[in-house]
Amino acid sequence: MNPWLHAVLYSLVLVTVLMTCTAYATWLERKVAGRMQSRLGPTRVGFAGLLQPIADALKLLQKEDIVPLAADRALFNLAPPLTVFFALATAAVIPFSPGLLASDLDIGALYVLALSGLMVFPVWIGSWASNNKYALLGGMRAVAQGISYEIPLLLSVTIVILMADTMSLSGIVQVQADEGWFIARPFGLGLATFALFFVAALAEGNRIPFDTPEAESELVAGPTTEYTGMKFGLFYMAEYLHSIIVAGLGAALFLGGWDGPIAPGLHWMVLKTLGLWMVMLWARWTFLRFRTDQMMTLCWRYLVPASLGLLMAAAVWVHAVHGVS
Amino acid sequence: MTLSAWLVLGAGLFCIGVYGILTRRNAIGLLASVEVMANAVNLLLVAFGRYHGTGDGQVFALFTTALTVTEAAVGLALVILLYRSRKGILVDSAAELRG
Amino acid sequence: MEQLAFGLVAAVLLYSALRVVSEDNLVHTVLWLGVTLATTAAAYVLLHAPFLAAIQIILYTGGALTLMLFGVMLTQRVESVEVPNAAAGQGRAAIVVALLFGVIAAAVVKTPGLPSSPPVDVPVRALGRSFLTTHLLAFEVLSVLLLTAMVGAIVLARKADPAPAPTPKPAPKAHDAHGEAHP
Repeated sequence: MNPWLHAVLYSLVLVTVLMTCTAYATWLERKVAGRMQSRLGPTRVGFAGLLQPIADALKLLQKEDIVPLAADRALFNLAPPLTVFFALATAAVIPFSPGLLASDLDIGALYVLALSGLMVFPVWIGSWASNNKYALLGGMRAVAQGISYEIPLLLSVTIVILMADTMSLSGIVQVQADEGWFIARPFGLGLATFALFFVAALAEGNRIPFDTPEAESELVAGPTTEYTGMKFGLFYMAEYLHSIIVAGLGAALFLGGWDGPIAPGLHWMVLKTLGLWMVMLWARWTFLRFRTDQMMTLCWRYLVPASLGLLMAAAVWVHAVHGVS
Repeated sequence: MTLSAWLVLGAGLFCIGVYGILTRRNAIGLLASVEVMANAVNLLLVAFGRYHGTGDGQVFALFTTALTVTEAAVGLALVILLYRSRKGILVDSAAELRG
Repeated sequence: MEQLAFGLVAAVLLYSALRVVSEDNLVHTVLWLGVTLATTAAAYVLLHAPFLAAIQIILYTGGALTLMLFGVMLTQRVESVEVPNAAAGQGRAAIVVALLFGVIAAAVVKTPGLPSSPPVDVPVRALGRSFLTTHLLAFEVLSVLLLTAMVGAIVLARKADPAPAPTPKPAPKAHDAHGEAHP
């Protein structure tokens, strides 16, 4: 098939599937959160509330679209679609099963990191353009958090790259299929790296317990304070998309991606992604929010030194196992 | 694409950066212009490296990228210092040594 | 196809750079700089240097741009979305810059023997190898430089007087002073 046609068709399918997943992720989250708090969650619309996401989307579409008078109009309107764009662009290199990915970049792992580093900009742009002090405070927190947690995230992925000896994500999964998953690497090295990655990714994605930029109790709704209707919906969607993609990335980097017995690769990938995503939910409805200064302390005093130490340990381990190549 | 096309593009970018340096009065605006110039130089390094056929151009560009980011960090520290002593960051305000 | 991509990248690059040097709003300046930096990454992809493109995004757009945004927010009294970015002497500067560009472009055009088609690509692995073999000294010097810059930036930016007296811990009853009664 024509490679261009293939790329276009694949992206269309991927975007559709991811959007549907995002919609139902909100349903699942509300259900699980409900059960964790001895409630039922959505039950009204459709069987077991299954049509709730559609009702929510319709509701958001009907809301009046308000742009504050003193806002920076162009940037205010630019920010929401840009967040979704960055979140979706990350999905291009995630390998769902052998040969099933939009683009097998040589530098796939770096590409994901680069894009996830960019994710904070639309949020900041939106917060600044709103011309609202709570929004701006939230935006500054988002940027500070993003740039700080980018470092442990990058270092933990560097450890994976070091162990896999390749930067291509499908290559990383293939190595794990051949030699065992990275999370099971000896002396707890893999597990520690995974924990580091997971915490940094949660913070990077502004998920509770690291959602200080949003912090409803202090900052109204953080960067999204002034947003209404579907523009707010887009921010919300981007956050869910980002969390799903981060779960997929974790599955591909540490849990062997599509590697697994009996069932085809895609099933395993989906199962692992869903599992990791549920762990995020679990964390979300269990822990309390950190304070901003605690966030910074956690990153710079503990995670960054720990990741540097782990990187050194991993280098020694790789050297001992593979020798100098 | 020919190498000269890249060279002219890089030159254009560099000149725009120079224009920024000459006209800006705000320290952060100046810093942004410097970044544009550094970027033009990096682009040229990569283009030369590509048409030369070795990785040296890219390696050099990586070094300069790291250098420029460092410069931005130190530059901003200076800007903050300027702000603290002048309550503003217009570079003309720091002209005590002019004879 | 390649020509089209080059044209597009060149146009966006030049336009965004022009906006960087001509915007009146400081925040817009910094954001246009982000467009310039990201488009440069696209140019690197066109030059078959994807690794450098990723590094460009991570370091410049993720690092330098964020720093500049912080710089703007820390040094301006942000009261509205209008943050001034002063400029002066545009006319004279434009003449000087036009002359400079003319000289460089003439030199490029007049130089004989510039290659017109590129040879083979350089794989990322070879790039990494040359980092730690041929260019090892430069690599190490760069690490020292980064350390120096880090220390320097911290020393420059921190408050001049580190306040010898220990800062008093806010008493737990501080909230009551603001009239927030605890139930």
